[in-house]
Amino acid sequence: MILCGVDVFLWTPETPELPTQIGPFRLELISNRGTRVYPPPAPDIDLIDWPRVRFLSEEQVEDRQVDELLAELTAAGWVWTKSQKLYRKDGVDLFSQPY
Amino acid sequence: MGRKVCLIRGDGIGPEIVDAVLRVFAAARVDLDWVELEAGLACVEQGRPLVPEETLAALAEVGVGLKAPMTTPIGKGSVSPNVTLRKRLDLYACVRPIRSLRGIPTLFPDTDLVIFRENTEDLYGQVEYMATPTVAYTLKIISQTGCERICRAAFDYARANGRRKVTAVHKANIMKISDGLFLRTFQRIAEEYPEIEANDMIVDAQCMHLVTRWREYDVLVTENLYGDILSDLCAGMVGGLGVAPGANIGTKCAIFEAVHGSAPPLAGLNKANPTALLLSATMMLGHLGEMDKKAAIEGALEATLARGIKTGDLGGDASTSGFADAIASELRG
Repeated sequence: MILCGVDVFLWTPETPELPTQIGPFRLELISNRGTRVYPPPAPDIDLIDWPRVRFLSEEQVEDRQVDELLAELTAAGWVWTKSQKLYRKDGVDLFSQPY
Repeated sequence: MGRKVCLIRGDGIGPEIVDAVLRVFAAARVDLDWVELEAGLACVEQGRPLVPEETLAALAEVGVGLKAPMTTPIGKGSVSPNVTLRKRLDLYACVRPIRSLRGIPTLFPDTDLVIFRENTEDLYGQVEYMATPTVAYTLKIISQTGCERICRAAFDYARANGRRKVTAVHKANIMKISDGLFLRTFQRIAEEYPEIEANDMIVDAQCMHLVTRWREYDVLVTENLYGDILSDLCAGMVGGLGVAPGANIGTKCAIFEAVHGSAPPLAGLNKANPTALLLSATMMLGHLGEMDKKAAIEGALEATLARGIKTGDLGGDASTSGFADAIASELRG
């Protein structure tokens, strides 16, 4: 498995406004209960205070780069309560896509 | 011109069962302004999404729709059109009335239940990962917001329809935190409805009770996965998916649809049973306040079934159109 990104679950009541690039990672999407709310247009749905933010890299990244991304989010004042590293194998994503 | 209602003819048997419903509605003099929308395999063949953005926008604007079954293409990246509609339009309540019908034999006579299934969270968020090369997991997300609105929808329905009891179905004995949140929320919401009896059941025990003590239950409210399973179990109790109506309802939009699939092998053969879509359409009439029309059509349907006029799946030999014509004749008296 090749490490290529991270999903970060933030504790925040609204869809967060985040940099579109942090280090080697681009902001791929934000979902709320599995429904994509970023990039726009966001559907008109009730939001819970636990959006999932996906940061992805086209290239293989190192574990420390994920640590640095999380540290940068924390330093910017975001509270994250869960993260999941994202892997690919033979070009196939080993993580699901939101609706 | 009547109220605007969206119509999706769907794939497979969809167009012919829609024709049957429209034939019956015409006989009942139901006055609706149908707004036909594109969705399904025809869109995919044009290189468009299964449910195009224009269709989602029209449904959101009109607020009510009748949808025939659609086919989910098999292959990587395909998503269910039904789940797409539920998620994108925030149709949080899947409502499934389960009622035994005259003319359809069942081991469970006098069944009269309504299932409220939460539609937008639980294990259906498609939040899945391979954590290691040999371990996969799915997140089960249960939110207070999601629990509150489905429980309130069930109690509001019970109050509006003279139902006496609402039962919460869960597995909080094992999933003490996630299902525990659902159960605690149910108990708190229940206090707002003192005239309605509220109790709860573990989902496995509920399955056993449904086939042994079905008359004791009235309205069931539950999470997404349990509701998915229970509603098909209950459909089987009264004759199967061919007679099982359903609706997916949100704050701003409601879509009424048969529970069954598009049955591609039957497409175009004029053999499909339109009962489930017809009952979904009469649910829609109830939603629109057309209670007299709803009762008239459902009465004509049951009278037709009781006369032994049925499609092949129910042991009869009526065609789709012939069955619709028989119901229409009942309506015309």
